[in-house]
Amino acid sequence: MTRKLSYDLLAFAAFMLVIFLVVPTVYDYDGFELNTFARYLSLAIVALALSLSWGSAGLLNLGQAATFGIGSYAMAMHLKLRASDGLPDFMAWNNVETLPWIWVPFHSLGFTILAGLLVPAAVGGIIATFMFRARIAGVFVAVITLAFLVAFQLLVIDQQGMTGGQNGLTGLAQLNLFGWEVDTYSTAFYYLVAGCLMIALAVGLYVSHSKFGLILRAIREDAERTRFFGYNVASFETMIFCISAALAGWAGMLYVLVLEFASPTYMSVSFSLAIVIWVAVGGRESVIAAAIGAILVNALEGRLSDVFVEGWNLMLGVTFVLVVIFMPRGLFGLVTSMIKMATERVRIRSHRPHAIKPIKANSQSEGRR
Amino acid sequence: MDVLFNQLFSGLSMASILLVIALGLAIIYGSMGVINLAHGEFVMLGAYATWALQNFFGFSILVALPFVFIAVALVGWVIELVIVRRLYRRPLDTILATWGIGIILQQLVRLGIGAESRFVRGPAILDGNLTIGAVVMSNYRIFVILFSIGVLTATWALMTRTEFGMKLRAVIQNREISECYGIEAGKIYSLTFAYGAGLAGIAGALITPLYSTIPTMGTTLVVDAFLVVIIGGLGSVIGAAAAAVMIGEVTAIFSMVMNDTLGRIAMLGCIIVLIRFRPRGLFPETIRR
Repeated sequence: MTRKLSYDLLAFAAFMLVIFLVVPTVYDYDGFELNTFARYLSLAIVALALSLSWGSAGLLNLGQAATFGIGSYAMAMHLKLRASDGLPDFMAWNNVETLPWIWVPFHSLGFTILAGLLVPAAVGGIIATFMFRARIAGVFVAVITLAFLVAFQLLVIDQQGMTGGQNGLTGLAQLNLFGWEVDTYSTAFYYLVAGCLMIALAVGLYVSHSKFGLILRAIREDAERTRFFGYNVASFETMIFCISAALAGWAGMLYVLVLEFASPTYMSVSFSLAIVIWVAVGGRESVIAAAIGAILVNALEGRLSDVFVEGWNLMLGVTFVLVVIFMPRGLFGLVTSMIKMATERVRIRSHRPHAIKPIKANSQSEGRR
Repeated sequence: MDVLFNQLFSGLSMASILLVIALGLAIIYGSMGVINLAHGEFVMLGAYATWALQNFFGFSILVALPFVFIAVALVGWVIELVIVRRLYRRPLDTILATWGIGIILQQLVRLGIGAESRFVRGPAILDGNLTIGAVVMSNYRIFVILFSIGVLTATWALMTRTEFGMKLRAVIQNREISECYGIEAGKIYSLTFAYGAGLAGIAGALITPLYSTIPTMGTTLVVDAFLVVIIGGLGSVIGAAAAAVMIGEVTAIFSMVMNDTLGRIAMLGCIIVLIRFRPRGLFPETIRR
């Protein structure tokens, strides 16, 4: 076991302890507070998904919100069908007479969950294949994914009869999971979301510590050289895009469960860049740090936007600029450099007696000459 | 047929505004590789500056233009000096930092002036329409098209006919070697950033009679302008012009065939495909590095 892995496992265990024990105790198992915190946890999943593609492989995906949105709409479609007998209400308002074929299979929860994971993965895969086969990199990845996001959001808003347009999907039923009617304000639901986050984190940690993750980091440092070593760079990049998109879709499904509605604002440019902000604040190189960044920024937003209703966004902007300039590696970078300094100091102190003697001897011998 | 010509004219009108926004962005991106996501907010500042000048001093848009240019250029200059300057070696980070700057500017305007939409009168001289056959063209839009061509020519002349332009082109090609020749690259960068911001301000002033002036108006504009820059090719002034006209007209024609939203989606789709096959733009600069 390498030292880095043991640090990560330690951080993972500590994080799990905080999420599973400390947070519910602090909030005194209050349903409303735990529901709010579950929202942060679901956003943490999408943040860690972005950190996989951006932090590991250096591919800044500004369209992460699109795959998040697909996941959220998949779950919302299922819940909407459960809430309405026959045709969902908004379809009748839009003069849609029969249920569109694309909605039909969402009666089944199993299909919904599969679709919420696989459709985003497929969409991410298609875009990635399209881009990376042409060896598109750097800024152009950001621009193409951004253009895709804008087009996708417009499409969702435009297809009003199918997606509810600007209003999104509201008036959803509760999820029924194997006979358990999920109450989103219960402690059990909080643990469901927390468990999902832990599984997603474990997947993320596994990916970044595997050989696959190592190759991704090699691609980030020098794609050309990795290609010379015989690795198919495009397929590795496509793979991480798919994984990241599937995780984002998962996060979207949970997010809809928490908020009980789906809206096209989940696919807006500002939401997508907000995800980037959380990851940058936490630290893009570590999945755990990215998740913590998302929780931290959102929790701060929840607290501070009550106090400074108008000023909050301004503070967010200022913080973000400061983070980019002074902490390019986020909180993670700050913590690792502090640990490094501390261990360095310990090492120097333990070596001092041996280190000084030879210098003295040298100076004496030089003095004699 | 008349519908087509009317649509082509409105496409050209949209293209002319895109061009002025994109020119500033193209120069900034071309010279320092900075993706300036705050550019839309510079446009917004320009629009609010025009509103303020008209509201408090009674300036017409035409009179306000030079003041707006200087004011927004100053804002850009300060931002370059304080923030952007630190990020030249990290191009992806500039996307993030300038997005942060955008949030700050947007919120400052929202706090200072308010979130409601502001109205600016178009200049009285340019009221009315020019009608050729069944094609109706508003005088103001014709003015905007001519003005944008003027801005394009001026920028082109600045880049190719002045000492500043020569230094800028030298820095674009190779910063280190131009510094060896005594060109102060840092100073050139600040001035370029300020000029680009000023152009965005002018664009903001020009669109006030056409769009509603709200704090969030920049966000959609900056995405479009960015696509223009990427398609036009790194820092290519002519490329930006061609791409702006192309995007404006393609959107207009698609919107006529389908509807406005689907037209925009189709345009974005075309752009994605175009970037995929020509990532260096329509008019890539052929420099050996």
